[in-house]
Amino acid sequence: MSDSVKQNDKIPPTLHRKTHVRSPDSQAEVSSNSITLGSSSLTKEAGLSTFGTGNKFTFTSPTTKFAQMAMNLSAPCSTLPHNTNPTAPAIVPEHSMENNDNTNASHTTTHSHQPASRTESSVLTPFLNNHLITNPTTTDSPVEEHHYCYRHDPHTQCNKAADEIEMTRIQKRLETLPHQDQEAISHVWSVFSAAPGQQRTLILQGLLTMCCFPQLSLISQEVSKLIRIDFVEALPNELALKVLCYLDCQSLCSAAQVSVKWKQMADDDRVWRHMCEQHIDRKCPQCGWGLPLMAVKRLRESSFVRKRKHDTALDELQNSLKHLPPPLDECKAITEKCRQVKRQRRTRPWKAVYSERFKVERNWRKGIYKIKKFEGHSDGVLCCQYDNNNLLMTGSYDKTIKIWNVETGKLLRTLTGHTRGVRTLAFDEQKLISGGLDGTIKVWNYRTGQCISTYTGHSEGVISVDFHDKVIVSGSADSTVKVWHVDTRTCYTLRGHTDWVTSVKIHSKSKTLFTASDDATVRLWDLRTNKCLKVYGGVENNGHIGQIQCVIPFTVKDKLTTDLQEHANVPDSGEGNNQSENSNEENGKVDEALSGIPNLPSHMLTASLDNTIKLWDVRTGKCIRTQFGHIEGVWSIAADTFRIVSGAHDRTIKVWDLQTGKCMHTFGGHVSPISCVALGDSRIVCGSESGEVKMYCFDCS
Amino acid sequence: MAKERQIVIITSDGDKFPVERKVAEKSILIKNMLKNLLPPEDEQEDDDSDVDVDEDDEPIEIPTQNVRSAVMKNILEWCEHYKDYEFPDDEQDDDSKKSAPIDPWDSNFLNVDQEMLYEIILAANYLNIKPLLNAGCKVVAEMIRGKSPEEIRKTFNIVNDFTPEEEAAIRRENEWAEDR
Repeated sequence: MSDSVKQNDKIPPTLHRKTHVRSPDSQAEVSSNSITLGSSSLTKEAGLSTFGTGNKFTFTSPTTKFAQMAMNLSAPCSTLPHNTNPTAPAIVPEHSMENNDNTNASHTTTHSHQPASRTESSVLTPFLNNHLITNPTTTDSPVEEHHYCYRHDPHTQCNKAADEIEMTRIQKRLETLPHQDQEAISHVWSVFSAAPGQQRTLILQGLLTMCCFPQLSLISQEVSKLIRIDFVEALPNELALKVLCYLDCQSLCSAAQVSVKWKQMADDDRVWRHMCEQHIDRKCPQCGWGLPLMAVKRLRESSFVRKRKHDTALDELQNSLKHLPPPLDECKAITEKCRQVKRQRRTRPWKAVYSERFKVERNWRKGIYKIKKFEGHSDGVLCCQYDNNNLLMTGSYDKTIKIWNVETGKLLRTLTGHTRGVRTLAFDEQKLISGGLDGTIKVWNYRTGQCISTYTGHSEGVISVDFHDKVIVSGSADSTVKVWHVDTRTCYTLRGHTDWVTSVKIHSKSKTLFTASDDATVRLWDLRTNKCLKVYGGVENNGHIGQIQCVIPFTVKDKLTTDLQEHANVPDSGEGNNQSENSNEENGKVDEALSGIPNLPSHMLTASLDNTIKLWDVRTGKCIRTQFGHIEGVWSIAADTFRIVSGAHDRTIKVWDLQTGKCMHTFGGHVSPISCVALGDSRIVCGSESGEVKMYCFDCS
Repeated sequence: MAKERQIVIITSDGDKFPVERKVAEKSILIKNMLKNLLPPEDEQEDDDSDVDVDEDDEPIEIPTQNVRSAVMKNILEWCEHYKDYEFPDDEQDDDSKKSAPIDPWDSNFLNVDQEMLYEIILAANYLNIKPLLNAGCKVVAEMIRGKSPEEIRKTFNIVNDFTPEEEAAIRRENEWAEDR
């Protein structure tokens, strides 16, 4: 007892204060001050006292007490928070100091000293003294910012819980030992605890040389358990987010379930925005998934509309501020309202956006859908268009056009006027243009149901129409294509096809026109000159051998699988090139007529009554992929960034992967041939010769 | 004859590492520092006006307060390996690089314990060595990828601090990603 008191005399109670001031030069640097640190952080939790290092302890104290001690011993890799004023008192709570004294007191009462320990302490004490009392002025860089080692940072959670369990275990095992042994062991720990970093390393190296293999094995096991770092918590936020950005969505969702901190990071909007960016309009090369482009379009549009609404509201409010200087409190109210409007503009979290699209994409892949039927046509349906939102329009042999509300399935309006079947239609937000077998083109205000104008000129039925800006294009059974300039009231006739013109598509970016015909060719026209630039077809180009029913020009960013790749080994093919965005130079024959046309689409898809769908390189004029599968003629196709949908005379609908050309699904169950298909980001619409209109909804949950 | 002045990197624990300039310059931080201290390598002979002639033989000492010796040793090994490799402009083709799998040499190089990996990442960030930072973050991401929440906790010794109710709710919230 007296011994212990003496020791306390040697190491004055101010010890802790002094040592705290010392600031270590590295995170690994050990100093005794952390002893108090460890304990002070613990005291918060347990409200228990701490041990001074200079004291000798008995281990009859309660477990928690020991746990603290062990913590002290194992903790000192850390040092106190950066203290800018070296002379300032240490950041030790007063109560902790008091507790410390109490502890000492309790020791003095419980401890009976052995002579052996006395001699030991005579070696120990100077050592401890030496390392515990450090003059702050002698430190290398007293003001230098210091770092905790990861393990002893009071802010990290990692390891702490495990440490406590481990300390309890050590305590229990220690208690089974004779008193002297307990003391001896505690001395070893004390010395190590007090030693500065480099000396600790030295001590450990010495200990390691003494270890037998079983002990080394123990160390190896224990250490591998201990060196675990919660990177997401420990790294600066921007780095943790960077890590998370490398993950796929499934891993991110797992990460969000790990802990509170992980949830916060893994749900971060920046991470999911990055995810959306990585998967929108393209297949992510890492996971092979992509979100539909059209979905994004719609998102953008709707948010644009919303934004516009808000902006008007905002403008109105702000204007009211400008024009009539109202009383002050009213001003405040208006400003507050402005703020609210601005806040509302915030969009929903990117994770929600991603998850919604993800579910749709999964249903596409798995072929999970619900069917909606639109009943009303009394004869075969010939054409349909879906605006990817809430409007669906269908044209039929029954001479009518029907407009449907997609959500309710209700018929909104029936447009009558054509004297024979309605073979083709195209609409945007304002107008609908339809072409009939009666040879006329009609422009409708579909909101009122009024037919605005009728264009006559084709000598036979109008099979296809398209429009852009003030130009309407029509293809007819009279084998001609007519380009109607609405504002100048002029019409040009493009001649070249030798059979029905079944499909016309304006490519506005390049001011060109693609037309498909029953003569088994596609023609590319320059809308500025009305000249035919190129004819696609022929055996030498691997063209269609049957009537082409549909053409879709498009540009892809992803690489497309082509037949050429499969035949790359065939020696004389000479076309081993992997296709894609730009025309293959090896294929050589980039048509010179096309060289003057900027922004041409890179590819086009065609569907034909020869049962195939073909993918073409627009610039070389070669068919680079043929998709087989339909057993009767393909009447109609539709495509987006990821998929091709086809409807055929064999009464099936097929969904194809645009990139690979592989058939993903075949949907049967139709009573008659499919004459038309339309595609939205989460839906397929099809019309059949029996008059049935069906919608496959992949956005069901 | 205008011999390149030696560059010595001093770590937080006082170790000194003499390095070649192009090795040290893998760190953009050091590169910028050197830019201020030294004329560019190709102009060395012409222009030494702003460098004190007497000091020419003195090695340039660069203290790195945040990096300890063992970590610096690793970092410099990495810099040495890539010293003749020009990394493409970082921000340029960010997307394709992000999805690129980690380089096998990097992956092997970073096959160290978590503490070392942690310090390498911090040091790469501090020293501004982007490709190393990217590689380090990718390695950590690979440690997370494909694991269940419990497996992640085990990997990093993380305490589950959700209440059972919270845990269940968060699980439901994230279920959508599980089945694909």
